[in-house]
Amino acid sequence: MSYLNLKNIYKTFSSNVAVDDFSLDIAQGEFISFLGPSGCGKTTTLRMVAGFEYPTAGSIALLGNEITNLPPNKRNIGMVFQSYALFPNMTVAENIGFGLKVSNTNTIEIKARVTEALSLIHMQDLGGRYPGQLSGGQQQRVALARALAIKPKVLLLDEPLSALDAKIRLELRLEIRRIQKQLNMTTIYVTHDQEEALTLSDRIVVMNQGRVEQVDTPSRIYNYPSTEFVASFVGHINIFPVSVIDGGEGIVDLSGNKIRSRKHMQEGAIPVHMAVRPEELTPGHREGANNLTGNIHSVQYLGSVVRIQIDVSGNFLSMDLFNQRDLSIPMVGDRFDVNFSSDSCWLL
Amino acid sequence: MRKGKLNFWSFFWPILAMTYFFVPLYGTLDFSLRMKKGVISLLAYQTVLADPQFIESFQYSVVMGIVSVTLSILLFVPTVYWIYLKVPKARPFVEIVSILPFIIPTIVFVFGLIRTFSRPPFLLTLTPFKTDILMAAGYIILSMPYMFRAIDVGMRSIDVKTLTEAGQSLGANWLQILFTIIIPNLRIAILSGALIAFATVLGEMILGDFLVRPAFGAYLVLVGRSKAYEPAALSIISYALTWIMLGAIQVFAKGSSSQSQLLGRG
Amino acid sequence: MQQSVKNKSAIRWWFWLIRNPWLGLLPFFLFIIAFLILPSLNLFVGAFKDQQGQFTFANVGIIQNPYIQKSFRVSFQVSITTSIIGTLFGFLVAYAITLGNAPRWMRNILMSFSGLAANFGGVPLAFAYIATLGRTGFVTYLLKQVCFTNSKGQVCPFDLYQNGFNLYSMVGLVLAYTYFLLPLMVLTIAPAIEGMKKDWREACENLGGSTAQYWLYVGIPILWPSILASFILLFSSAFGAFATAQALTGGSIYLVPIVIGQQIRGDVMNNPNEGYALALLMVIVMGVAIALYTWLQKRTAKWVAL
Ligand SMILES: Nc1ncnc2c1ncn2[C@@H]1O[C@H](COP(=O)(O)OP(=O)(O)O)[C@@H](O)[C@H]1O
Ligand SMILES: [Mg+2]
Repeated sequence: MSYLNLKNIYKTFSSNVAVDDFSLDIAQGEFISFLGPSGCGKTTTLRMVAGFEYPTAGSIALLGNEITNLPPNKRNIGMVFQSYALFPNMTVAENIGFGLKVSNTNTIEIKARVTEALSLIHMQDLGGRYPGQLSGGQQQRVALARALAIKPKVLLLDEPLSALDAKIRLELRLEIRRIQKQLNMTTIYVTHDQEEALTLSDRIVVMNQGRVEQVDTPSRIYNYPSTEFVASFVGHINIFPVSVIDGGEGIVDLSGNKIRSRKHMQEGAIPVHMAVRPEELTPGHREGANNLTGNIHSVQYLGSVVRIQIDVSGNFLSMDLFNQRDLSIPMVGDRFDVNFSSDSCWLL
Repeated sequence: MRKGKLNFWSFFWPILAMTYFFVPLYGTLDFSLRMKKGVISLLAYQTVLADPQFIESFQYSVVMGIVSVTLSILLFVPTVYWIYLKVPKARPFVEIVSILPFIIPTIVFVFGLIRTFSRPPFLLTLTPFKTDILMAAGYIILSMPYMFRAIDVGMRSIDVKTLTEAGQSLGANWLQILFTIIIPNLRIAILSGALIAFATVLGEMILGDFLVRPAFGAYLVLVGRSKAYEPAALSIISYALTWIMLGAIQVFAKGSSSQSQLLGRG
Repeated sequence: MQQSVKNKSAIRWWFWLIRNPWLGLLPFFLFIIAFLILPSLNLFVGAFKDQQGQFTFANVGIIQNPYIQKSFRVSFQVSITTSIIGTLFGFLVAYAITLGNAPRWMRNILMSFSGLAANFGGVPLAFAYIATLGRTGFVTYLLKQVCFTNSKGQVCPFDLYQNGFNLYSMVGLVLAYTYFLLPLMVLTIAPAIEGMKKDWREACENLGGSTAQYWLYVGIPILWPSILASFILLFSSAFGAFATAQALTGGSIYLVPIVIGQQIRGDVMNNPNEGYALALLMVIVMGVAIALYTWLQKRTAKWVAL
């Protein structure tokens, strides 16, 4: 039996389908991310778990108990909002203690739990401040502590970092993961930022247009994307139309070049695209690998990485090289050889 | 998000409020149409509109309105422009000054005005023309909170300093900047301020009544003392005028955020 | 030649202004001093002079005059009653048309009508009430028709004037003032209610709070400064109102503004300096109210800015 179970969830707003047949099993202590472009239904799904929306069809069960139509204040599921949603009329400590206060916990207990929560987020000294006197990052930490103070069965976070600036975002990301591990908290984290999803999660749910595209660990999502959407949404990728030479062996033709790929196709399936990640390409010619030759089209510095585009008979192939001190960078227009192993290339 | 549940009280209070608004309006309309016994007629309106005193006072107030609104614009636009451009520090102070007419009730203000200017050395109440100067000054002061706010909001919505500097860098002189850049960008704000100020002048009764000038407000007081049906007709006419004025502001201010209204005048 | 001289002096004048930018506000301040500060100061200084022109605090003693005391009492009674009614009623209306489920068209009608009604004060409002609720008014007439016969003969339970109602009284004033104060409340409080974030409510539910707990701990604490501020605004609007009261009651109800009006016309207090003192007292009440209002507004602005 899974800890949290979503079964065949549908949600429509008037005629607009926001979530389309969403099913997922979450184990206790697991950190799950919902990843997908804006408007794909992540928030809606999360809000159904929290109880702010009710599914049009399908069911949600927590520890085997159906909670599909339970009101939100009876679920004991903590939520962190993108806008923090701290109560401006209460101090940090009062905010954190609010959930306990409304459930009639005695004041001594509330005080102890607030202190505990404050130390969890390293803000012991700021309990008396008002939200207006805190930075965005601090406010979001308080919101996290507030959600955790009720000892929720599940923690939900809806793009909690998107209103913060890059540096704070990185810092807080690590902190969320640390706290989640420390408390072994079952967590659903909504984001449209693939980097966040890849670094934080035990498993990622990639969503598109209300549907689940793939559910898998970060490394499998990245290395073995099961659909073209996942492949192109997560990370940078080269995708080219190809024609099949030998379906069983996974051999295709890319503008006259013979390419061997790792994915052997099913009988009768007709692949139309090959895919390879830019970091899998290496300069030079190598026996036994797939070799291509073209002209350098552009060179882009991206900091730690240099991205080179090579024009191979009209296909623009991106290659990423680590920007080492001794890296010799080709000039635009140069003739250039690249190779990649057949393992790193797959058909879609 | 709205919960779909229909709630009795959510209907009850708005309907009660609408009743409270509309019943006196309807009552007045009905009353104003009953001057001729037993039939519905426009006689009250005809009587009012044919009354030479009505025409005189209305004309007087319209002229006074145009004069004081023009003077008010000439005074406030350059002042607020200058504040934004050169002395932003003065803004809070001028803002407080501009709401003084809210703190000093009109009746007290008029009291002070009369006691100060009807005596030596000013003696401004001796001739009608001099009194009219006093009237115009009074109207400008009374409409100042609305005028200032309208222009201030308009000025804030455009980047006065950068626009001015851009104009200067392109070789424009100050008058050119004011008339070809600033004012065209402020015309909605100025217009809505002007309409509000104009409405204030038309509806103002204390100044005209106490300074004994034939203002529209003073005429209303007079009619109220002596007639029965005409006041109802005048009330409907005033209502319509206010409505037109506010409607015009809404039409002109559409799409701009300059939302200033006359509020709570008793 | 002459042109350049003129230009030169213009430029010099201009640089002088640039170096002393405060001088650019001179026309404004001269006007304000002449027509607002001077007349006001004239009253306030007069309030501290006796009839021989000597400095005195004696005029403030009018506060012990029963006639003046009564005018303040009546003014406070009318203003506070009508502001309480306006505040409560207006809040409920504003809530219903913002967060409540009142249909869109009701909201549109009420918001635009509020803008109109808040501006509909003074003499025309008094006329409207006389035509509606006066002795021969429309509503008075309609209600009078509701009659039935019982053992004691014909009974007309809604015959207002038979039952002690009088429009030209404090009740009438309260009814009339509410006409422009209710919409004033709706207009000022609706944005504050709409500013209540949906997230606050959801966060509260998420933490286990009920609807009642939301209002008790979050909703009302956040809104009360706005509500109080609106109440004060309504109060000062009612307290300063002259025209409606004068036209409705013909000055038969002794409100502070009415007494000042009588003083302007004919020195009813025998001592003009006492009249100035009365005006000063009235301004003090208004000043305190507006100061409180501004303070409360700043306080809410701080929260809303989050
Ligand atoms: N309350 C609502 N009413 C109508 N449509 C909604 C509502 N909430 C979300 N939607 C629609 O559902 C879809 C999914 O929205 P959402 O779950 O917010 O996406 P995401 O969080 O992935 O960006 C969108 O097309 C959005 O317009
Ligand atoms: Mg979202």
